[in-house]
Parts: sequence; C-alpha cells; structure tokens
Amino acid sequence: MINVEIDGKHVEIEAGRSVIEAAQRAGIYIPHFCYHKKLSIAASCRMCLVQVEKVPKPVPACATTVSEGMKVFTASEMAVKAQQGVMEFLLVNHPLDCPVCDQGGECQLQDIAVGYGTGASRYREEKRVVLHKNIGPLVSTEEMSRCINCTRCVRFCQEIAGQMEMGQAFRGEHAEIMSFVGKTVDSELSGNIIDLCPVGALTSRPFRYSARSWELSQRKSVSPHDGLGTNLSVHTKDNRVMRVLPVENEDINECWLSDKERFSYEGLNSAERLTKPMIKQEGKWNEVEWPVALEYVANAVSQVANCAGNSEVGALATPHSTLEELYLLQKLARGLGSNNVDFRLRQSDFSADGKQAGAPWLGMAVADLSKADRLLIAGSFLRKDHPLLAQRIRQAARKGAQVNIVHSVDDDLLMKVANKAVVAPDAMANMLAQILKALAAEKKMAADVSLKEIEAGSTAVAIARSLAGGERVAVLLGNFAQQHPQAAQLQLLAQNIAALCGGKSGFLGEAANSVGGYLANAAPGAGGMNAAAMLAAPRKAYILLHAEPELDCANSQQALSAMYAADLVVALSAYKHHAVDYANVLLPVAPFTETSGTFVSTEGRVQSFKGAVKPLGEARPAWKVLRVLGNLLNVAGFDYDSSEAVRDEALGGKDVLSCLNNTLQGEAIRITPASTGGLQRVAEVPIYSADAIARRAPALQKTRDAATPVAAMHAAELKKIGVSPGEKVKVSQGENTVLMVAAADSGLPAGVARVAAGHAVTAGLGAMFGNVTVERA
Amino acid sequence: MANNFFKTFLLLELLKGLSVTGRYFFARHITVEYPDEKTPQGFRFRGLHAQRRYANGEERCIGCKLCEAVCPALAIKIEIAEREDGTRRTTQYDIDLTKCIFCGFCEESCPVDAIVETRVFEYHGEKCGDLYYTKPMLLANGDKHEEQIAMDRAADAKYR
Repeated sequence: MINVEIDGKHVEIEAGRSVIEAAQRAGIYIPHFCYHKKLSIAASCRMCLVQVEKVPKPVPACATTVSEGMKVFTASEMAVKAQQGVMEFLLVNHPLDCPVCDQGGECQLQDIAVGYGTGASRYREEKRVVLHKNIGPLVSTEEMSRCINCTRCVRFCQEIAGQMEMGQAFRGEHAEIMSFVGKTVDSELSGNIIDLCPVGALTSRPFRYSARSWELSQRKSVSPHDGLGTNLSVHTKDNRVMRVLPVENEDINECWLSDKERFSYEGLNSAERLTKPMIKQEGKWNEVEWPVALEYVANAVSQVANCAGNSEVGALATPHSTLEELYLLQKLARGLGSNNVDFRLRQSDFSADGKQAGAPWLGMAVADLSKADRLLIAGSFLRKDHPLLAQRIRQAARKGAQVNIVHSVDDDLLMKVANKAVVAPDAMANMLAQILKALAAEKKMAADVSLKEIEAGSTAVAIARSLAGGERVAVLLGNFAQQHPQAAQLQLLAQNIAALCGGKSGFLGEAANSVGGYLANAAPGAGGMNAAAMLAAPRKAYILLHAEPELDCANSQQALSAMYAADLVVALSAYKHHAVDYANVLLPVAPFTETSGTFVSTEGRVQSFKGAVKPLGEARPAWKVLRVLGNLLNVAGFDYDSSEAVRDEALGGKDVLSCLNNTLQGEAIRITPASTGGLQRVAEVPIYSADAIARRAPALQKTRDAATPVAAMHAAELKKIGVSPGEKVKVSQGENTVLMVAAADSGLPAGVARVAAGHAVTAGLGAMFGNVTVERA
Repeated sequence: MANNFFKTFLLLELLKGLSVTGRYFFARHITVEYPDEKTPQGFRFRGLHAQRRYANGEERCIGCKLCEAVCPALAIKIEIAEREDGTRRTTQYDIDLTKCIFCGFCEESCPVDAIVETRVFEYHGEKCGDLYYTKPMLLANGDKHEEQIAMDRAADAKYR
C-alpha cells in the first residue's frame, strides 16, 4: 500500500495504480475524456492534467502512477490553468452547435467545458470538417466533426470486442477516427462505442433525433435475450420505449451491453404488435373484447380436455418468458390434468430428465469466469449466443487463461484459443471422451471402463494437458451442446472432465429463464410429454406462450405440422406472427418492458423487474391472462394479486442456489460410433433471430449478422456436389426442401453443412441436427 | 369649535376637493382611449408567439427542445424527427396559449431566434382549442410579422 495526498486528503492505494484512481477513491473528481476504467491508458486528451509536488510541469493523472508520499493538487493554479488551456484547445475544432447534437444534455464535453473551461474561445478561424462514413446500421458517424480523438472507441474494439474495427487515420490536424475503408463495424458489441464516446461523434442511429436525454424516464429492467441477465436501463417517453442503456453491474454485464440488448427495443414498437384479442371464426379473424376471448379459450380448452382427454392438451413456452408466466402456465396445464408442458423448445435430447440432481446452470458465478485459468468450451457459438460472456472469457484469455474449444464450426472467437477440436456433431461426444481419457492418463488415474475403446488423438491430449495444468478449470457447454441429440452424454462427459481436474462444469444458458423454467417446474416431469414428444405426437390442443413454433422449436416443420393438425391453438403472443395461419385464438400479451416479472439468470441470480411502460393497446401481462384463465377453468389456487405473489409461490422460499445442480445421476457413459457418411446439419440460431423481439428490430435486421443464412460447407464438399460458392442449392431434409445460396467455409469439418435454424429462410426444414442433402438447384 | 364652524360655513373642504378636480381638468390627459389609441410598446414586448424563417424560407427551428425544457408552464409540446435531408426538425411544435404565462423564457433560450414573442396582443379564441397554436399557425404569425420582429431583434441585439 502506498500513501498519497490529493488536495490535502490522505489516500491509501495499491502500488501501480494511477493518480486518477487514487483521486476517485478519495472522492475527488478529475475531469477526463480518454481515460476509462475498462480500457488501456492513452493519455491523449490531456484533460486530466494535475500538479504534483516537485514536478515542474503538470502531469496527466491517468498515466501517472502513484508513489509513496506523492502530493497531488487537482485545483491548484497550475492545474486549473492547464485544464482551461486543454479545454480551449479541445473546443478549437469542436462545433459549438450543441442544440442540434444528439449528445446534448448527456455530453461529457459539454459538462466539463462548463465546469472546467473558460467562458469563451479566442479561436476565430475555420473549424475542421470530417465527413461521415457508413459504419453500419447501428452507429451513426454523421457528426464525426465533433470527435476529439480520445480513441476510446478504437481501444474498445481492440481490447473488449477483440477486433480492431476502428482506427485513427492520418496525423495532426487531419487525424480522424474511421473504420477500415469501405468496411462497417460488425462486432456484436459495437453499440458500446456510443456510450463510450464522450462527445456526440458516435451516436445511436435508430435513436437519432428522436428525443432528448432530459425528457426520458429511466426504468431498471433485465434483459430477456440471453441467460446472463444483463441489467438494463429502459428509457421511455410518452409510454414508449425510446432506447435501452446498460446499468453497471460488475458481477454480470460490467458496464457493457450487447447490440441485441441495446437495439432490440425497436421490436417492442413494431407494427406487427398484436393489440387486440382475436378469434378466428369461419376462417376469418375478428377482433373481440377480452372477456369474450377468455371465455372462448376456457370453453374450447376444457372441451378438448373433457372430450379428447387431458393429455391432449399441450403447453409450450419459450424460455424467454418470465418465471411467473412459466409457473402459471404449468400450473394451468397441470390443473387441467395434463403434464404436457415444456419450455425447452430447441432441446432434442431429453434423456437427462429425471436424472438431473437439480436445475442445470452455469455451475459457477459469472464473475468466476474472469478468474478461470483453463476453460473448455464445447458446442457454443460463443460470440453470437453469449456476446457478453464471450467478452468476459476474452478478458480472461488476455490475462493468460487458456481457452480450449470443441465445436463443429471454426468461427473466430476473437481471442487467443489454446487448442481447438473442430469435429462433426456426431463426433462431439467422442471428442469429449478422448479428452476425458487423455485427462485420466495425464492425472495418472484409471479411466472409466466405457472409455476402453477410445483412442485419444493429439488434439484431445493437448486439450487434456491444458486442462490438467489449471487450478480453476471451467468446462462449459453452449447452446449447440444443449440442443445436441446427445446432450445428456455431453453433460456427463463434461461433468467427468471437470471432476478429474477439480473444476466446475456448467451450461451457458440459452435464454433469460433457461434456469428459471426448471425452478418454475415448467418441465414435464413424470407422466408428461416434453416439447419434442408433444410435437412428434401431435396434440389436439396447444397453448403457446410467446412461442413461434416454426422458429423456436428444434424441428420447425414437425412443429408446424403439429400446429396445423391441432383442433385448437391458443397463442399468447406479443406479435401477430405465423400463428394467424393455424391458431384459433390470439391473445395479446406484453413483452418484458410492459409487465412485471422475474428472470433467473444462468448463474442462478433471481432478478425481478417492473414494467417500464403500459402495455400497448389491449395487450395485458401474460401472468394476468393466465391467472384469469385459471379462474375461468376453475383451477384451484389462481387468486394472485400481484406477480410478486406468483414469484414467491414459484420459488417457495427456497434458496435458489441449493436447487441448482449439474450432476447427472444414474447415467453411464455410452460411446456410440460415429454415423457413416452423409452430410450432417450444423444449425446455429442466428444472433438476431433468436427471439421474437430481436427478429422485429429493423436496425438489427440490417446488420451483417442478420444476413440471409447460406448453406456453408467446406470447399471440398462443395466440389463433390459440383457447386461453386454463390450458386443456388437445394437443401433437403427428409421431405422438406428449401432453396439457399451455397458458401464455402474452410473452418468446417468434412461431412458437415452449416444451415442456420430459427430463420424464415430455413423454417421449411426439419430438425436442427441430423442429415441433410445438398444438391445443385 | 369656531375654527370648525368657519370651515363648514365657507365650504372650504368642498373647494379644496374641487381644486383637485379643477387641476386635473386642465392638466394633460394621460388616459389612453383604447382601442382608438394604444400605449407605446418596447422592442422586448412579449405578446403572441411566432416562429421565424430565414430569408431563404427555411424554418429556423432546429428542434433542440430547449424552449420545451425551460417553459415553466409546460405550455410547449415538441416532437422531432430527422428530415429527409438529414437535418433535425420538429414534426410538431405546439404552444398552448391558455397555459402560457408570457415569461419570455422560450425566446431567451432559443439558440437560433426561432421562437419569438411578437408585439401582437390582440387575439382571441372563440371556442376551446382556438388558443392552442400549432406549428403552421406559429410560422404564419412569423411570416406576417417578420419585418417588425427583425427590427425588434436588431434593436435588442446590442444588449444581448
């Protein structure tokens, strides 16, 4: 510890810290632009100049490390003169038309100019003009002349997002911040540069000129998009969500937000929103009042339950639903005598049901990921499925953690990867088994008998060696592994690998309530049918909660035909989606900003939130709709006054962390031989197609990540079928066929075709896994 | 007692009172015979609002919303959007004159002298809503009185 005195205040701080950090600890604010606690030090803005005793000239507080007995003066005559001088220089080229600038009212330059600048500028000459460049549909550089060259955006892209997509070109007066010539900024974290920009040079394109910061009300909320449970600040005006910004939470999202979370709010105001209950009568949709619609649903559902049997009713919810909604849905279904309820729509292997010791979760706190020194990530489109977790792992990798990957594609994770094994989907379990065997050898322990046949390859040995050398090992299974037809085996192998090296295994939760669904008991349990079974053997009646079966289910064509075959489909949805073709009733329910609710994040953090705005039109919170349906169907125990009452009943006063357990009991490792020949489908869910809200956000849909999916294969595979990249191909899976454009991807293993799921283009296909055939169209 | 008697007898108090009347009868008249006559107005007179244009016909308002923020009576309502040419413009600019207290903060806060208060004070509404001025009405006011507004701004310029 080092003792420093700042403006007469005594501070004790670790060696190696900067003066600006010491001042922060003492509660003294030093004006700054280029300094940011999460980024490296540039010391380019010179705004934080302070006086240090015995130093002849003012020094930048961000780039000066503390030393014992240092005396710093932040408001001495020398410091103030330096700050005023720097401010005058910064304003030399900065336009002074704040009233037209979108940053006005929340601008660091504006605030600091008032606080630390002089009243007027002596500069009368012409100002520099920087022409705007198109860097994508999310970030506007329309006002690039306002840039003060602090390079925060450049450092963010390099250090946090992992890829240098922005840079400073030219020198001196001509220096300007730009992306590579003609290139856009495509990072899935690009929106953060808007927050980082201390001036109005980088602003939000969808938000541009739509409101002023001072007229927005801010409401705290939680992101529904992935399992992380990112804390959001929803900014509203006139009962409309105008934008979404991050709320800093060091344990979850730090101070970042992924673009999906930042820009998908546009989908909340989409023209596709369902605003009145609708009933289909004689093939025509009629708008009706709520009591009529609810009465109709209650009658129709009880009729199916009574005539065709209770088990003919199936309830499907997306894991993006709130805990309360999931709890009431399963309570309603069970009240009707049906155990057919599920929220794991994209899962295809349910053999772990009944063998789980608890709800599957991350297995550790999110913050622990930063401390891990060896990681094995299996089956995860990490950057696209979990942008902020990927960022955290990237920081760990920068600090020296070894990241090992087992996956079926070789996407650039923008971080240093120690070893990677890119194998076909059906060889994934085998690869993990090889790692397990090599690890046992490494640790000089006896391997499981079932691994007798397994021969560990060199990659597996390298990964095992890496894992064996770690003290804090994390073995993580991504969305792809959870959706895998051998998910239970993968879980078991991950569990064994983690156990051998004293680490922890866990799942990267796919959606906001991938853990919460288990706690709400929204999985079928004994005697019930899971999501896949319910669709494979069509039910007579379905209740859909937020779900769009052809996009949200593991097998889109199967799901769709089950819907068409059903006598009754009740869709509780915020949007008028494809259900207009097959549903009988559409009930408008509120998305997360318009209802109170709870998400249980992948690390088991229970986060409740309140509605930020009133529901649009006649839409109502789904928990209220389900509550009334419960009353109408005479199901006992449906007299809740608030969503909090539902949550408390769902969690039952249990300690949530004690309900979480990744251990699989009574399951043995079974090594199945890899299938012979054929082309296996590798289906990712494109980042901006993963949930209903993001699908309807226009700006996100214009990004590169939202480009129309292509059928990607290794160049050699393409050659085999005589197709060159860019040509049209017919992709078929069983009887289902869609037309796509072929693309070459040298990172794919042989025998694999990468065909995305969850997208309208590929909704005509079947299961996310399994064989496909690709031929010239 | 005697003093009081003389005062009463000689109507001294009456004459004293009448002298005031007489003095004013012959003095210069200061009553303004409205509407035939009007009081003079200063160049900072705060009457009916108007929105101004530049000489080329372009509206001055850039939709910064400072007037809306500063208005103590919450009489101003503004909605903004990006116009086709990429500039920031209002799509709605309403002043509710029944709320307005004519404090002049709006014109003081305006960075481009777009919203101004004119010398017009003789206006009326016959039914509810007539005094709710929208953007076209305000721009029409500005067009009508631009000459006077420009003169008043010029006269005020040296004090700003």
